[in-house]
Amino acid sequence: MSRILVDIKGFGRQYLRSIIGAFFTFAFPILLIVLFGSIYSGSGTQKVSLPVQNLDGSSLSVAYLNELNNTTLVNIEMIPADSNITTYINDNSLSLALQIPANFRSKIMSGLGPNYSGPVFVTVYGDKSQSTFGTAAAAVETASMSFNYNLSRTLPLVAQEVKGLKEGYKFLDYFLPGVIGITVMTNSLFSMSSICAEYRQRGYFKLLATTKLRKHEWLLSKFVFFSIILILSLLATFAVASVFFGTHSTITPLSLIMIPAGAFLFVSLGMLLGVAIKDPESGVAVANAIGFPMMFLSGSFFPLDMMPHFLQLIATALPLTYFNNGLRDTMVYGNTGGAIINLLIVVVIGFIFFFLASRLMSWKER
Amino acid sequence: MSEELIQVEGLSKHYPPDVKAVDNVSFAIQAGQIFSMLGPNGAGKTTTVEILEGLRNPTSGTATIFGVDVTKDYSALRERVGILPQSFEPFDNLKPIEAVQYWAGLYDIKMTKSQVNTLLERVDLTERKSVLSKNLSGGEKRKLGIALSLINEPELLFLDEPTTGLDPKARRDLWRLIEEIRKKGTTVFLTTHYLEEAEKLADDVAIMHKGKIVARGSPHDLIARYGKMTVIVLSGAGSEALREIRRRGIEATEENGDVLVPVKDPTEMRIVFQKISGIELHATDIYTRRQSLEDVFLNLVGAKMDEGDLKT
Repeated sequence: MSRILVDIKGFGRQYLRSIIGAFFTFAFPILLIVLFGSIYSGSGTQKVSLPVQNLDGSSLSVAYLNELNNTTLVNIEMIPADSNITTYINDNSLSLALQIPANFRSKIMSGLGPNYSGPVFVTVYGDKSQSTFGTAAAAVETASMSFNYNLSRTLPLVAQEVKGLKEGYKFLDYFLPGVIGITVMTNSLFSMSSICAEYRQRGYFKLLATTKLRKHEWLLSKFVFFSIILILSLLATFAVASVFFGTHSTITPLSLIMIPAGAFLFVSLGMLLGVAIKDPESGVAVANAIGFPMMFLSGSFFPLDMMPHFLQLIATALPLTYFNNGLRDTMVYGNTGGAIINLLIVVVIGFIFFFLASRLMSWKER
Repeated sequence: MSEELIQVEGLSKHYPPDVKAVDNVSFAIQAGQIFSMLGPNGAGKTTTVEILEGLRNPTSGTATIFGVDVTKDYSALRERVGILPQSFEPFDNLKPIEAVQYWAGLYDIKMTKSQVNTLLERVDLTERKSVLSKNLSGGEKRKLGIALSLINEPELLFLDEPTTGLDPKARRDLWRLIEEIRKKGTTVFLTTHYLEEAEKLADDVAIMHKGKIVARGSPHDLIARYGKMTVIVLSGAGSEALREIRRRGIEATEENGDVLVPVKDPTEMRIVFQKISGIELHATDIYTRRQSLEDVFLNLVGAKMDEGDLKT
């Protein structure tokens, strides 16, 4: 036991004195929270800038723009009526624009009479692949429906009422467990794979083999060290998110158990990779090749439901998915049962990696 | 007669398909000596040492230290053996004082601050004890390595090429340190490819080449056995003088424009000088040189050694 503590202290000093170690443990997750917190939590609702060219200029088209404004989804900016809209879009590098046609009023007026010949079309210009397009299109759709009701004097029979499942919870509450997951993975996996390669290349394993420290003690000390600093990292990240961005997710006892479980899993995976890696540069490359796709495919940054089905299938094979899900279950949804199941999956995968790593890793030369 | 600390019998290490890193090597080392295994890069020195350190398993043969079979129970030796591996680099982000405390802990040794300071003083690192290891010079890093290898006060110390890559001053500093360690009664197993180092430090030298020990003895014995004792050097005499000397039946060789005339028996020195003085030579200087391990190595291996690489 004393050798494990000695190794934790010795290794810990080295790790925390390295700029990379300190950055990825504390600065990286806080930076992510501050960045995403600033982007998503600043004003509550994100408005899309919508340049509009009103070729009609009548009171009806102004009323329509008022309806558009009432959606609270867009900020309307006017495009001069005498300019060519496609040229204007190109010249100003716009990704969105709306054009109200010159016959807006006349077509509506004739439609309200007996000679209805179809609706008048307002045109939304934009890149459908961008998320802002969806917001703008939804705003125009909503404004058009509302405008139609008002003009045709129809009373709405069905309307939508939205109730949040977790009142007061923000995007950042769902994002926070993902950031913690990324932090646990990058510190444990990336560090251990390159540490193993560095120890082999610089002969540290041979040196350690000449002491009384045993391999399982060394592995255990890494697991304990990363568990401790990652719990501290979780507390620091949580504090920043809570104090500066008012998040509502909670640190539960289960979330504090999830951290060592995740550290165990990714330390073991890092050591397993380190068995085959010859130098630290390759260690970083291999860890990146495995870690980065896992980061994006395991729901750290955005919900898995947003991904195509085949990527969702891949996500089920990634250990970070279960770690993220477990943290979200306990920190955001209060779903203890779900969190325990995810915790067990993480622990089982961790044991498989640990078993393989401790069997395959050798401090001696072959 | 001194106790034999290390006994090696028929030791071999082969790698597929047909690399014989160590090829049926046998030797024994007496306690209290500096034993030097000398040879070029790839001779099998480090492989032999790492087998003795319990870091590699041999293909065949036996090796015992203090009577303990290193392949079976190395743990029994850990407290009695110190090791400085080849190309030792300390942990970058630990200060020497912390590195010593850390390493002592891994041996279950509780060192007081004053004991740590004494050890660092012994290796002349007192003034640098609070500097991060990554900022130490090459020589200081090796000194720290030696300090770590001395933490358990070993009876036997393995130093695998401790001075490789160091500047001459740092090398001499380490030589002094190694001599002091021996004086305190520690047996030193030193591998090196510096002939001068082996000649200066070692009581007993084994020259290793292509996995085999090709010569063994004290530096003096080896020079007497394999060297040509004394050489008359005709500096800058060139190939014309070489032909003239040889025409008179005198054995001679040329090296970098110098003509070397070996004299095996010192009593013949006068006669050889007389013969040479009868020849018209254009030498810039004439002097005698006692042969060294370098000449022994050249005679045995047929090549010179430069930073561990063979130069024919």
